[in-house]
Amino acid sequence: MDATKKKVLNGYHVVFLVQNVIIGTGLLSLNHVLSPVGYSQWWFPLLFGVIANITLFPMIWLALKYKDEDLFDINVKLLGKWIGKFINIILIVYALLIFMIVIQNYLSLIQITVLPNRAITFHLLIIMVLTVYIVYGGIKSIARFCIFTFFFAGTLTYSLRWGLMEGNISHLLPLFNFSFSEFMEAFHAGYVSMIGYELLMVYFPYIIHQKKVFKQASLGIWIVIFFYFSVSIVSVMYFSEWQLEHLFYPILQLFQAVKISIIERMDVIGITVWVFLILSTVSAYLWMAKRGIDSVRGKTSKYHLYALAIFCYIILSLPISQAVKKTVFENITYAFYGVVLWPLFLCSIHFLRKEKKEVVK
Amino acid sequence: MWRRKKESVLESKEKSSPNGAQSKDEKVTLVAIKNAFGDIDDAVFKDYQTANGLVTIIYLNTLIDSTVLHKTVISPIMNNSDQLIQVLDHVISTDLRTMLMEISDGNTLIYLHEEQRFFKASTFSPPQRSIMTSEIESTVLGPQDSFTESLKTNLSLIKRRIHQPGLKSKDRVIGNETNTKISIMYMEHIVNKENLQRLEQRIKEVDEANLLFIDITILTQLIEDNPFSPFPHMGMTARPDLAAHFLLDGRIVVAMENSQNMLVCPVSFLEMFKSPEDYYSRWTTATLLRLIRLVGFFITIMLTPTYISAVTYHPGIIPFDLVLILEESRSKVPFPPVIEVLLIELIIEVLREAGARLPTKIGQTIGIVGGIVIGTAAVEAGLLSNTLIVLVATSALLSFLLPSFLMSNSSRVIRYIFILAAGLFGLLGQMLALAWLVIHLLNLTSLGTPYLAPFIPRKLSDLYDTVIRFPLKFIQKRKGISRPQQENLETK
Repeated sequence: MDATKKKVLNGYHVVFLVQNVIIGTGLLSLNHVLSPVGYSQWWFPLLFGVIANITLFPMIWLALKYKDEDLFDINVKLLGKWIGKFINIILIVYALLIFMIVIQNYLSLIQITVLPNRAITFHLLIIMVLTVYIVYGGIKSIARFCIFTFFFAGTLTYSLRWGLMEGNISHLLPLFNFSFSEFMEAFHAGYVSMIGYELLMVYFPYIIHQKKVFKQASLGIWIVIFFYFSVSIVSVMYFSEWQLEHLFYPILQLFQAVKISIIERMDVIGITVWVFLILSTVSAYLWMAKRGIDSVRGKTSKYHLYALAIFCYIILSLPISQAVKKTVFENITYAFYGVVLWPLFLCSIHFLRKEKKEVVK
Repeated sequence: MWRRKKESVLESKEKSSPNGAQSKDEKVTLVAIKNAFGDIDDAVFKDYQTANGLVTIIYLNTLIDSTVLHKTVISPIMNNSDQLIQVLDHVISTDLRTMLMEISDGNTLIYLHEEQRFFKASTFSPPQRSIMTSEIESTVLGPQDSFTESLKTNLSLIKRRIHQPGLKSKDRVIGNETNTKISIMYMEHIVNKENLQRLEQRIKEVDEANLLFIDITILTQLIEDNPFSPFPHMGMTARPDLAAHFLLDGRIVVAMENSQNMLVCPVSFLEMFKSPEDYYSRWTTATLLRLIRLVGFFITIMLTPTYISAVTYHPGIIPFDLVLILEESRSKVPFPPVIEVLLIELIIEVLREAGARLPTKIGQTIGIVGGIVIGTAAVEAGLLSNTLIVLVATSALLSFLLPSFLMSNSSRVIRYIFILAAGLFGLLGQMLALAWLVIHLLNLTSLGTPYLAPFIPRKLSDLYDTVIRFPLKFIQKRKGISRPQQENLETK
């Protein structure tokens, strides 16, 4: 593999990395979590896109100042060794948490639909091994897998056709039928589905054409928004407000609307193909955690990867109560906000240090 | 390492020989050679009285055709020995090892007693079979000749297709025990020099480490990028037209003495689905066949696993009528679907293997036994369901569709992975297995070049000749995987 070369990511790699890491389990329940705003939710993805694009600015600005360093190195450089490493450990925990939450979510969905009454132990193991296998090839391997996933899982979009045909276009209006608190509730719950583009700061030093990253990352984000937006529109047209509020995974119902003569239940196929989206997301986070450990320990070793995977496997296999899981899942959004806004803080530190240096001169 | 060991063996032999007592400067005597060829009964030492005095000729008669020997050595030496000696190559008379190697290579040594000098004549002419049609890679259109086991014939088959000095063939001797000759062929102005260097480096590495070079397939496995992969990622062909085609595209072709196949590298995954016939038939036919092969590959690895998932875990995914048919046909079957599928897949595999091993006449019986006795009887006995037999037979036929024998084998191997995965987790297992397959293919390289070319790295001009074979006038550039020095086929 090209693991030895430092700069490995081309433009299209960046586009699809950004895009596929974002799409994970979030899309499955997106329309459910947006249900506080009812039918007005269909334009929310556009709002998310704009906000994600705005928050991209400080990330890339900071990364361009430190072209050969990832987020972990920048932390150490700007905040000093101890505080920087402490923040890095928090980031590693954050990556691992998202890693585990995504797998946990997906596996519970699998337990509901595809393989009822089966313990997750064994297929969790296989998913872990596959993730390690992807990460083992480095970031380029992940990027390539993302590209394949885009073309493979992207074909699922076609199954929206039936929902669109049966939907009612009058559901799209009115546009602003909600109160401010409802808006905040929906926004807070829905923006989690945008988790993923903050990884850009970690794989930035591996990108070849760093000046063009903003354009490429924006393209990636807007491809995501295209998928989210089309799913939202079809959901709004197809479902009633009551359904949106009570169906936890509206996409499953959309799949069931598909009528092809040789396939009876599209939802089983859709959910199993979804494993590609899950693998592309979790492998990126595992890679981030591995990079973090490499950075904190000051040496690169593949055993870090194995250790992390075994650790996560054990945690996921532990009988943790649903309440704890739910708490973690609800609060990961705040961590996500923190990571997205973190570059702003780093930028200000960067300015302070620069001024200090100038004063010294 | 081995070379050193061997040299020491030779040296110790020289030292222990009673008459020889050879040192570096001393001349090799006839007795020393005779001693070295001790228990070799086909070694011939013949004395002739000629105009130049007594002459001894030494050769191994199993490697040399007697008419060739007579024509090139014996007859001239009896009639016109002066002239012959001027023509022949002189062998340095102090190097015993080289002399022994020359004789083992099938050359004839000529010793002039008066002058005490050695000469050699190349007389290597072992019995060999004639050029025949290829049985594995047979086509309807196009040239029918195929390589034989003789390196010289094989090189000639290629060189008669590409008449120009740009076609290089570098000879090399590998393996210290077998001393097998290989020839690395490439077009000097097209081939990628980095690839060439890499290949030579790898051959050099295995040359020093391994001893068994019986066939080129062994060399291939030793220099592959990933020995653990189920896929062949070095091409193999017994067809001179295909080898010439690859050479002109900028690949490197390695031929080996005593092996019918030639090694082609680098090759991509999709090239395993190409047959040389694709270029001989019209583009519409070629495209249709290519599509069938490619789709057939995915059907052959997915068909029976899908049956398992559908029957075991998700009867809901297929239409109700089909479920009825499937369930009805396996209502008497006492095994779970995985076992049933594995059983019949293994039977088919056994039939195929038995058919391949047996002589052709008995091989036909195998078809009858397999098809009628096992197939029909097993269904009637209620051991297997007849719909499954249809599916298994289809996937078995599809796996034989691939032009590359190695790829056809590996498609059957990975089918078992999919069957087991489907048996464990149903459709999810299949998707996980597919994910494994994709990651594996994405990371696989052939001689350092990505195996999934032209998709990674992208090369749009390759798409004219990938899944769809466009009319030949569209195919104007060499393939991306060979990273050639000259990209365009036409030089204007």
